[in-house]
Amino acid sequence: MRSVSTAAPLLESHDLSFRFGARPVLHALNLQVEAGSIYGFLGPNGAGKSTTMRLLLGLLRPASGTVRLFGHELARHRVALLGRVGALIESPSLYDHLTGRENVEATRRLRGVPAHRTAEVLALVGLSADAHRPAREYSLGMRQRLGLALALLPDPDLLLLDEPTNGLDPTGIIEMRALLRSLCHEYGKTILVSSHLISEIEKTVTHVGVIQRGRLAFQGSLPDLQRLQTGRAQLVLETENAATCRQLLPHLLAGATVAGSGTLQLPWLSREHTAELAAGLASVGQPIYGLRQEQPTLEDTFLHLTEAGRSE
Amino acid sequence: MEYALPTAPGPFIQLGRTLVADALKMRRTAALWLALGGGALPVLLNLLIFYFKGHLLVKPGQNPWPQYVGMSWQTASVLLLPLFVVLLSGLVVNLENRGGWRQLLAQPVGRGAVFGSKLLLLLVLNAVAQALYVLLLLGAGVLLGWLKPAIGFQQHSISLLPVLRMLGHTYVATLGILGVQYALALAFRGFVGPLAAGIASIVSALTLLRWEYIDLVPYAAPTRVLRLLEGDTQLHVAAALTPVEWYSLGWFALAVLVGYLLLLRRPITD
Repeated sequence: MRSVSTAAPLLESHDLSFRFGARPVLHALNLQVEAGSIYGFLGPNGAGKSTTMRLLLGLLRPASGTVRLFGHELARHRVALLGRVGALIESPSLYDHLTGRENVEATRRLRGVPAHRTAEVLALVGLSADAHRPAREYSLGMRQRLGLALALLPDPDLLLLDEPTNGLDPTGIIEMRALLRSLCHEYGKTILVSSHLISEIEKTVTHVGVIQRGRLAFQGSLPDLQRLQTGRAQLVLETENAATCRQLLPHLLAGATVAGSGTLQLPWLSREHTAELAAGLASVGQPIYGLRQEQPTLEDTFLHLTEAGRSE
Repeated sequence: MEYALPTAPGPFIQLGRTLVADALKMRRTAALWLALGGGALPVLLNLLIFYFKGHLLVKPGQNPWPQYVGMSWQTASVLLLPLFVVLLSGLVVNLENRGGWRQLLAQPVGRGAVFGSKLLLLLVLNAVAQALYVLLLLGAGVLLGWLKPAIGFQQHSISLLPVLRMLGHTYVATLGILGVQYALALAFRGFVGPLAAGIASIVSALTLLRWEYIDLVPYAAPTRVLRLLEGDTQLHVAAALTPVEWYSLGWFALAVLVGYLLLLRRPITD
């Protein structure tokens, strides 16, 4: 029995598994996306992100497990539930012989959305001036933005965006981040956004799920992920001769690695240990040019999580 | 917190919306030009034949219309019409083959609506193309009357009822091909596969025209209904459906069912 929490997740999967023929792709995925969050769905290429996205939209049938959107089972109420979902799956599939506006119109008519939305979403993604041009003349970034316009068309409560920054230039990436934040904070949208680069979305997301080889390696809030990092902080010592220091203080520098001729790195243990090390170095007459604590970046943590999965 | 289940649009609303969207997607496509202009080729060929050689084909004083309509119908039905249906169904389905399926099927419409909409579109385009062909054919006959009064197109007339009946018979005869090709296009997920299968089937059907069971082959049906065109002085076409047409309808029904199941069960991975 599932316990009924005060705020049911807007999107959840329960033991979701999928296989292509005999090859298993996803193993018992339990995703939980809370209402009002921006959930970063991270994983290296080929980890199963796009397959998961397709399962969440009912494009693929799971081998086992269920998907629930807005608390209702997707398999039973697909059409009703997708009415509140906007999606961008991989590179947006556009009709190249149609103009940008006609592409939006085709989806607008399909969904029965009011006519004024076409101009609104084109303006929102900054394509109003190019809306009359055929989509085949669009750059990759413009195609991506038109795909986003299609996803935003029904003013959905839930947005599923698969690698939305693909093909965008740095300005475009920054604009996309700002747009996602404003959609979440000002318009109350819940967003699930996938990426293979944590650096692209770490400034945007509130929650993170890391998938590796079809398994969820981590799921939680961004602070949860940051807490996971603190155990992996490093102490970096800048001195004259790293090797000599290690010989002189074998106990204090037991876990240290030589990172350069004058640089030593060791796991950060405690403030007392740091003070002890400084005193020890002074007592054996070695200079301290620098002694600092280094937090691993989220990227390091992401790599650590995904590599741990790989070496299994 | 419980979320209320959003209401889903009814199946006919879904079908209507999908059809309106599909119609919009036809703009500037080869499929649309084919449907609007495809009938011109057999008409043009026969216009030229009658313009240059009409005096050899029609005896003086004879009504040229039945022969003119019969010859043109033959040109159109044996090869061009089956080929047209093969091309049309392939082109209409191929519009979605570059990622369109995942975009389309991630929208709040059922797969039945997606399937039905494209089928209706094909049926309408096929009907429009054949109706335009008849209009062009009759128009070209009138034109011949002005350009070559000696052949006698102006002195004689053609009754519309047999022409319209023949249009109906031919339309029904193409439905088997249309259904099978639509299902093939959904199965192959590309343009070349169903086209190759279609051309191979047409050629086989034409080769086997003297086989005793040829009426069972849908690709031969448009040729087989040509027998209904009768009369030298005035055109006669029987109203009742022939076995060929019933078989064509049977193929259509079977192919539509298979095509629907194919789309319904298809994993969207492209």
